[in-house]
Amino acid sequence: MFKKLNLFSKISVIWIGLMFFFAIMGDLLPIPDPAEFFDVQSAGLFSPGHLLGTDLNGYDLFANVVAGSRYSIAIAVISVGLGSAIGGFLGIAAGYMRGKTDYALSVLFNIFLSIPNLILSLVLIAVLATSSDPNVPASDNRRIIVIIISLTIVIIPILGRITRGTTLQWTNSEFVIAAKSMGMKDFMIIRKHIIPNVLPSIYAVAFLAIGIVIVVEGSLSLLGIGVGNGTSWGSMLARAQGDLEYSPTALFVPLTFLGLTVIACNQIGDALRQRLDSRESKL
Amino acid sequence: MSELLRVSKLDVRFNTARGELHAVKDVSFNLEPGESLGIVGESGSGKTVLSRATMGILTTSIAKITGSVKLTDIELTQLSRADLRSKWGTEMAIVFQDPMTALNPVRRIGDQIAEGPRVRLGMSKKDAKQRAIELLRMVQIAEPEKVLRKFPLQLSGGMRQRVMIAIAIACNPKILFADEPTTALDVTVQAQILGLISSLRKQLNMSLILVTHDLGVVAGHTDKIAVMYAGEIVEMAPTKELFSNVRMPYTEALLNSIPRISNESGVRLPVIEGRLPDPTLPQHGCGFSARCNYATDKCHVERPQLVDGGNGHMYRCFFPLGVNK
Repeated sequence: MFKKLNLFSKISVIWIGLMFFFAIMGDLLPIPDPAEFFDVQSAGLFSPGHLLGTDLNGYDLFANVVAGSRYSIAIAVISVGLGSAIGGFLGIAAGYMRGKTDYALSVLFNIFLSIPNLILSLVLIAVLATSSDPNVPASDNRRIIVIIISLTIVIIPILGRITRGTTLQWTNSEFVIAAKSMGMKDFMIIRKHIIPNVLPSIYAVAFLAIGIVIVVEGSLSLLGIGVGNGTSWGSMLARAQGDLEYSPTALFVPLTFLGLTVIACNQIGDALRQRLDSRESKL
Repeated sequence: MSELLRVSKLDVRFNTARGELHAVKDVSFNLEPGESLGIVGESGSGKTVLSRATMGILTTSIAKITGSVKLTDIELTQLSRADLRSKWGTEMAIVFQDPMTALNPVRRIGDQIAEGPRVRLGMSKKDAKQRAIELLRMVQIAEPEKVLRKFPLQLSGGMRQRVMIAIAIACNPKILFADEPTTALDVTVQAQILGLISSLRKQLNMSLILVTHDLGVVAGHTDKIAVMYAGEIVEMAPTKELFSNVRMPYTEALLNSIPRISNESGVRLPVIEGRLPDPTLPQHGCGFSARCNYATDKCHVERPQLVDGGNGHMYRCFFPLGVNK
């Protein structure tokens, strides 16, 4: 299957694989401690001992990018996973049951889709990520959970609407009527006939959604309401945003990782969609 | 013989944006065990709607169905959805027109055939697989074990239609509906599929309702024929009787428009001029009057009733052919 991909997609798959490797194995790699201040400050790329240099505070950038991949990717994967599952479920329910369920869910999806992603999650975080003492910001763990929830809510209508559309198309297909005419129950038809056909398009969109989520999470951090200080790519950007003239690498290194990961996710999503289209055209 | 299926005064209307569409008008027929009925008509004459309404699988909410469909002693139109569903597959099953779209593209043939026996007959996985192999043998597919593992797109059109038939007969239905089963196939394959359906019907003692637009298709494979026009049955008779004593001008016109080897070359094939009447408009007079060569003023105003002309020959015409009044 890997061999059939074009070069760009292959590179994307390798890149995403590498990011997952960093996220999971980051602690075990022979790299400097991300939280340690080094004497060399604002070092450029490929300085001795610091592969991607250091920032103004003397943090090792490579170590921080590896550590940041954990939060960025975990948040993206968990929220997209949850969002796809819930959105997919609602979309199939709307597309298969039609009628009032469909109407209510579609209206709901459209309302959520009409609110810009960033603002939606901003509001959700403002409402949910509160602590008992107004002078102390909410704890990191609580914020991460709230960010995941808010991003999940951003993803649900995107996946929901696409799943609804695909389900609608398959629900009217003749083999579903054929299965009905054999006396199959609705649950069975959804499980055996609708889901296998709808899943590929959910995968394809989910990969695109991972890209969206990484960007939104980065933007939230940049605005200062993301996870902790320098613990994700976005918060690395936030930390370095004032230091552009003194240590440009501190800004560009996390930006590059974020950008490349988003592009790779989009590419894989596109490749999946193309495979899907060609599979349909073969019929 | 006791009746297996009795359809009486079945009437189907759709509420569409253009107004009420009267698709099936006051249709009655019956079917005995093992008997086969051909429903013939041109596109839009309501034959597919009739067969689906009879089975009860007309899924749209805009359909308004009145009349009665009795399967042995059970009134199907009064059944709840769940009760009706319990009749599908085991009592009545349908073979669709296009085997390309009626098979799920992402599931293996074996799983799709075994699904019916597994779910409806409660067979174990192993038994269902054996049943699937047996069914594939019955529909004359070579190397059934290999075909079980294939996906629909790996099979030819004829093979797929055989698989569709295997799926339909998997739960031993008493009535098999075949909705234009050969329209999407090559001419050479059509004869094979029809022959297969006929032999399976005799072998399993099923009743058959064969819906088609081709009089030639039903000729050799059905005991009786109902000709539909604009939602009505306009002529119904045992097959031999119908072909030897055509009463309805529409049936005659249909027969004349079939090309024959004995036709003189260079002579244009007769066509039926005009179109079906708009089903959203109320019908005045005989539905076929506008296109009929024999129509008189009476035909345009008064609506003919289905009359019994003897020998089980029913027709809906004031001036039946070959009858002197």
